[in-house]
Amino acid sequence: MSESRRCPQCGAELPSGGPDSPCPACLIKLGLQSWADRAGGGPAEDVAATEGIPGRFQPPDAEELDGHFPQLEILELLGVGGMGAVYKARQPGLDRLVALKILPPEVGRDPAFAERFAREARAMARLSHPNIVAIHDSGQASEFYYFVMEFVEGVNLRQTFDTGGLPPQEVLAVVPQICDALQYAHNEGIVHRDIKPENVLLDKRGRVKIADFGLAKLLGKAPAEFTLTGTGQVMGTLHYMAPEQMERPQQVDHRADIYSLGVVFYEMLTGELPIGRFAPPSKKVQVDVRLDEVVLRALEKDPEQRYQKVSEVKTDVESVGRGRERKKPPPAATLPPLHFRMPFVFLAVMFYAVVFSTIEALGLSPVLAWILVVLFLVVPSAMIAMRLRDTKLGSYAKLCAIAFVAMAVCWPLYSGLAAFRADPQPTLDWLYRTTGVTPGRHDVAIVRGLFTVGAALLLLFFFYGWWVIGGRLQARWRGKRSSQEEEGVKLSSGISTPARRKP
Amino acid sequence: MSESEQPTASFPSDRRRFATTRWSLVLAAGRESSAESEAALATLCETYWYPLYAYVRRQGYDSAEAQDLTQGFFARLLEKKYVQQVQRERGRFRSFLLASLKHYIINEWDRSRAAKRGGGRKHLRVDFKAGESRYRLEPAGVETPESVFEKQWALALLEQVQEALRDEFRDAGKEDHFDRLSVYLTGETRSASYRELAAELGTTEGAVKVAVHRLRKRFRSRLREEIAQTVSSEADIDDEIRALFDALRS
Repeated sequence: MSESRRCPQCGAELPSGGPDSPCPACLIKLGLQSWADRAGGGPAEDVAATEGIPGRFQPPDAEELDGHFPQLEILELLGVGGMGAVYKARQPGLDRLVALKILPPEVGRDPAFAERFAREARAMARLSHPNIVAIHDSGQASEFYYFVMEFVEGVNLRQTFDTGGLPPQEVLAVVPQICDALQYAHNEGIVHRDIKPENVLLDKRGRVKIADFGLAKLLGKAPAEFTLTGTGQVMGTLHYMAPEQMERPQQVDHRADIYSLGVVFYEMLTGELPIGRFAPPSKKVQVDVRLDEVVLRALEKDPEQRYQKVSEVKTDVESVGRGRERKKPPPAATLPPLHFRMPFVFLAVMFYAVVFSTIEALGLSPVLAWILVVLFLVVPSAMIAMRLRDTKLGSYAKLCAIAFVAMAVCWPLYSGLAAFRADPQPTLDWLYRTTGVTPGRHDVAIVRGLFTVGAALLLLFFFYGWWVIGGRLQARWRGKRSSQEEEGVKLSSGISTPARRKP
Repeated sequence: MSESEQPTASFPSDRRRFATTRWSLVLAAGRESSAESEAALATLCETYWYPLYAYVRRQGYDSAEAQDLTQGFFARLLEKKYVQQVQRERGRFRSFLLASLKHYIINEWDRSRAAKRGGGRKHLRVDFKAGESRYRLEPAGVETPESVFEKQWALALLEQVQEALRDEFRDAGKEDHFDRLSVYLTGETRSASYRELAAELGTTEGAVKVAVHRLRKRFRSRLREEIAQTVSSEADIDDEIRALFDALRS
């Protein structure tokens, strides 16, 4: 009578056969249907997988597939759908987990497929973005066309719906990431064409990863194919398709993705699909009313009426998320309020005038006075303005500097011109000497007339310049070039307000 | 009759398959047996006689009595005496067999006439001597006769399947492959051994894995086929597997 050994897996008594003979209980279990499905031994659900048409594609078991991919260790089947089957695998050399996706063998029957596959694979490989599932490798192994992709440990959006959905705050964190990924792809000229909750993955850190870019185009899924075997899952895919994608699939552009995003967005917020006459999200759940506009605009049936760029969706969503009006500009960090500016400039001008006159009165020549003023008013204020650019003092200094510079330029000019007007003769003499023109009797009158005209023009030019440059400077300080601002600038540029402000 | 046994399989091929399994044949035949149904019953008995024998021995009968009892029972069975039990046992050969045996022991078997053998009775091709030595080898535990019966039934089934597979491989000239690969039928993959085996057979590890996998699939389908011979519907197969698994584990 020998001692009985126990099977390490099921605890059954082992027969006294050879040391290697398999445990009978485990052998019997081989017959169970469910064991064969979980070919590697792990659960087939609860990992991100795309869904599709069940039963149409019978994927090989993980172990059988393992032989076809010598460079990978196939661990388990994660999911299967109309677009193929996904397995969890390991690259032994790099000791990292990857996802292996194989396409249904029937795709290979089309002789042109190989070329399309190579082209699409290259396009997909170009996409390198933190929110897009990366493609590591692709090719053909025996009868299987395959992709080796980034393995994402987490769930897809469909699974979050099944467990009650995400709270609105998280939805508003997810959508911008989807927008980033889509905008990036659109910039690369790639349209996803099959955005749906099953294709949006969330990893353990809450980061969005979009999968299956370009697969819809590669597999040529025409709408007709989706109407076969009306299981709920297949028909569901239609709901995410833009209207133009169903009517004219060849003329679809990136705006189809925006529509699908709108559907997903709506479903994320409300848990329902926007079918028929649907209520805006704010009426169904506790979300900001301004989101309604965003979602509805994304869901516009006419592509022309929709958002034209995904990045616009992101901007709008983010501004709603921050609780701010979309049109309100960010607070001006540097510029003093409008109604302070003109009096301040006036004060600066007056100050300059006083200083200059005082220096002159002290007996110094105008030239010297001018140099002093430049040294002690213009230069310091300009330097302060430059150094303390982003502070309030800096912005005031900027105004001072501009006023001083203007004064430093205009006052001498004005004095010179005034002197010339008063007595043009010395200047004329100098002109006669240099040019050798003979003096005439009406020269002085002519010159005076010219001077008046010129002075007037100069004055106009000066004010106009102040208006334009001042406006541009203000716009740049503000960071925005809206016409609203320009109007404000016009008001403050010196044409009307100084008249008002002057005592 | 067997009309009450509606197979739950939804595919027409299953219906066809079950129509020709041995037990279904027997059930279908009922009282009016045909050559097929008789042959089917005989084959079933030949495959599963040992569990009955073990049961009888566990009940306390000695070797000679057990042999006589078993033979007598099968003779009666083949004389179509117990087919009416079928209705009660809901279509599983295993339970039918045990119930009929119990009935036979209580009602019909007469110890005093133990010596009666031969003479017009239908005999099964059964090697009682081998059976007895096998029984002696089993460790004596605290199991009930019923659990002994079930466990031995499961083992008989597995043997049947392995023999069938071995025949398949032998026909393909790969009997030694079967012996080497069948070690890996269950349990985790032992990669080191795969490598060794691959080296021995002069092939790649990947090919070995594929071969093991194919063997498993073949084993599974053969196993289910054999079980199907003793039940009458698809759903019963999984139930039967679970029952036998429990029996083997205890």
